[in-house]
Amino acid sequence: MYLTLLLATLVITIVLLVLVKNRLVIETLAVFSGAVMLVYSFLIALTVAEVGVYSFSFFLSVDALGAIIILIIGTMGFATAIYSVSYFNQETKKGIVGRTRVKQYFVLLYVFLTAMYLATTASSPIFAWISIEATTLSTAFLISFYNKPSAIEGAWKYLIINSVGLLLGFFGTMLYFTAVPSTLNGGFIGWDDLLQNANQLDPLMAKIAFIFVLIGYGTKVGLAPMHTWKPDAYSKAPAPLGALLAGALLPVAFFVILKFERVTDAVVGPEFSHQLFLVFGILSIIVAALIMFNAKNYKRLLAYSSIENAGIIALGFSFGGLGVLGAVLHMIYHSGVKAVMFFSAGNMLLTYGSDKIDKIKNALRVIPVTSVLFILGFLIVTGTPPFGIFFSKVYILSAGIASHPYVTFLAIFFMTLVFIGFLKHVTAMFLSDSEESDLVHGEKNIWLVIPPIFFVILIVGLSFTIPPFLQTLIDAVVVNY
Amino acid sequence: MTSLIFLQFLVDVMFLTLVLLHLTKKNFIAVIAFGVQSLMLAMLFFVSFLETGNRYILLMVFFTFAIKVVLAPLFFIRLIRKYQLYFSVNTYLSMPATLGIIAGLTFMAHSARFVPLTQIVPEHQMLLSLALSLIFIALFLIINRKEAISQILSVLALENSIVVFIIFAGLEQSPNLQIGILFNIFVWIVIATVFVSMIYKHFWSHDVTVMKNLTD
Repeated sequence: MYLTLLLATLVITIVLLVLVKNRLVIETLAVFSGAVMLVYSFLIALTVAEVGVYSFSFFLSVDALGAIIILIIGTMGFATAIYSVSYFNQETKKGIVGRTRVKQYFVLLYVFLTAMYLATTASSPIFAWISIEATTLSTAFLISFYNKPSAIEGAWKYLIINSVGLLLGFFGTMLYFTAVPSTLNGGFIGWDDLLQNANQLDPLMAKIAFIFVLIGYGTKVGLAPMHTWKPDAYSKAPAPLGALLAGALLPVAFFVILKFERVTDAVVGPEFSHQLFLVFGILSIIVAALIMFNAKNYKRLLAYSSIENAGIIALGFSFGGLGVLGAVLHMIYHSGVKAVMFFSAGNMLLTYGSDKIDKIKNALRVIPVTSVLFILGFLIVTGTPPFGIFFSKVYILSAGIASHPYVTFLAIFFMTLVFIGFLKHVTAMFLSDSEESDLVHGEKNIWLVIPPIFFVILIVGLSFTIPPFLQTLIDAVVVNY
Repeated sequence: MTSLIFLQFLVDVMFLTLVLLHLTKKNFIAVIAFGVQSLMLAMLFFVSFLETGNRYILLMVFFTFAIKVVLAPLFFIRLIRKYQLYFSVNTYLSMPATLGIIAGLTFMAHSARFVPLTQIVPEHQMLLSLALSLIFIALFLIINRKEAISQILSVLALENSIVVFIIFAGLEQSPNLQIGILFNIFVWIVIATVFVSMIYKHFWSHDVTVMKNLTD
């Protein structure tokens, strides 16, 4: 019931956003629907925590991991809607975007959110694939939103690389269906059907299929070496969208990979998928760490940070046991901290008019709240104690040290390199002396800092105490994966 | 048996259109080649309809024909005429090297290494090997082409190749899902076409190698 209401809310919102012309109404509608979406997300998560798997109709169902992802989408979506209103008001004042563009933005934003919800709740792998593909289609125009050559370039790379990746993912998906009679359920084969018929799947076929799926959906996650679209897309997309791409789309795509991992593990055991996660995970951390050190653009810096964290999550699932607990927690914390950092990056862009690191000088004095938020984001995302990511990294590395000591030490080394690289840029941006004389000091609008402050409070809270219903969901994920 | 020979003929035509997509220097010919390839795919669906009598497959024939054989080529031809993109940009590799790699990929698809994939339906092993070579060659086309329209056609050719593999492997899904996939492809074509226009307006070229704004 909640699921239907959630999806109905989203569809109605999209239709109304298309029909309405008044900007104030559009903004109110976007925020109000975001709030409703968040409430339903919570209700769905509570239901799943209570009953296990929550199904609505033949086509939609949510398990524990799905419920966690739904919570992430709901929270990120609502905060992004609030932030976007203030952000685009500022951009309109500066003459960067007009009224029509803002309307387009909110329509596409809600199409994107709907596609992510559908990908998470779809009971069929093909339906999930269609939804993931829809996320690409809805966000392509958002990435090219500013209609500049560099934005078109970023969006084109995003469109082509992700489309090819997803086609390979589609091919892998179809290979799993060799285990299931095509006439089953009228050809509408679900995740459960794949799991139940896993013993019919040829082990070699399962391995080939998982490689294609991992490469395909791994492109969407941004695992190296399929990550090349990420810095371009993140840096050219409007800042609020960057938060959603990093914080919500990444876990959604990972969720689909994990669904296939369960089927593969049922056929060939967990070693195969864990080895692949290990390779892609450590490669992502290394690639991100090496490039981050010399990054020149702070939004690209955040993109590389996402690649690194995708690698850490992959490592967690690779190590298993305590590593899975760490990976799930890491997914949650990472989503929150990426909202903090992208929203802060948006504020910096509004003040300085540039996303180049060397153009940001003495930000701590110019925009103190935003600067503190960005610095806090940096401390959280690099795993500084006592924030949650420190604990999630400890869980993952503890799980890895026994089974894969060399890889774990390699991961620790490159995570340290990430910290040093990040610190270098943070110091340059926030603590340097010189200052541009024509800058207006102070935050542009209180609503530009409330969403990131909310996420900092949320992360700090979740670092020390996890609500019982969320703990139930996390425990269920650890048992299943 | 006759049916298998006919199916083989359809896939052979698809293979040749894909080779033509690699070799042609004219965008118009590339679009026509894609249209012919898609027509072969629609005919494969039609053969499937004749064998099963499933009316939903007839719907797939209609949608495939409408979207891939008629609408997509029309979009692209309009684009070519509007921006006078008659000649395609050079490929990364020379023609002899391209042909050599196509031969290598075809050989690889027919090798014992890929038997697990080509033996899904043993009586279709030859067809599945050909379909697999289509997938490899389409992937190579995406990598080898420098221009926007060719890249779009390459992605669509890859999708066609995967669908051919799915048909011969007997992995067709519920018609509703297949129509959903086709709808997605249609939206993708529209969006990609808009992007080609945007690229041309901003860069005065359809050569994607001129896009060098984003580097670290």
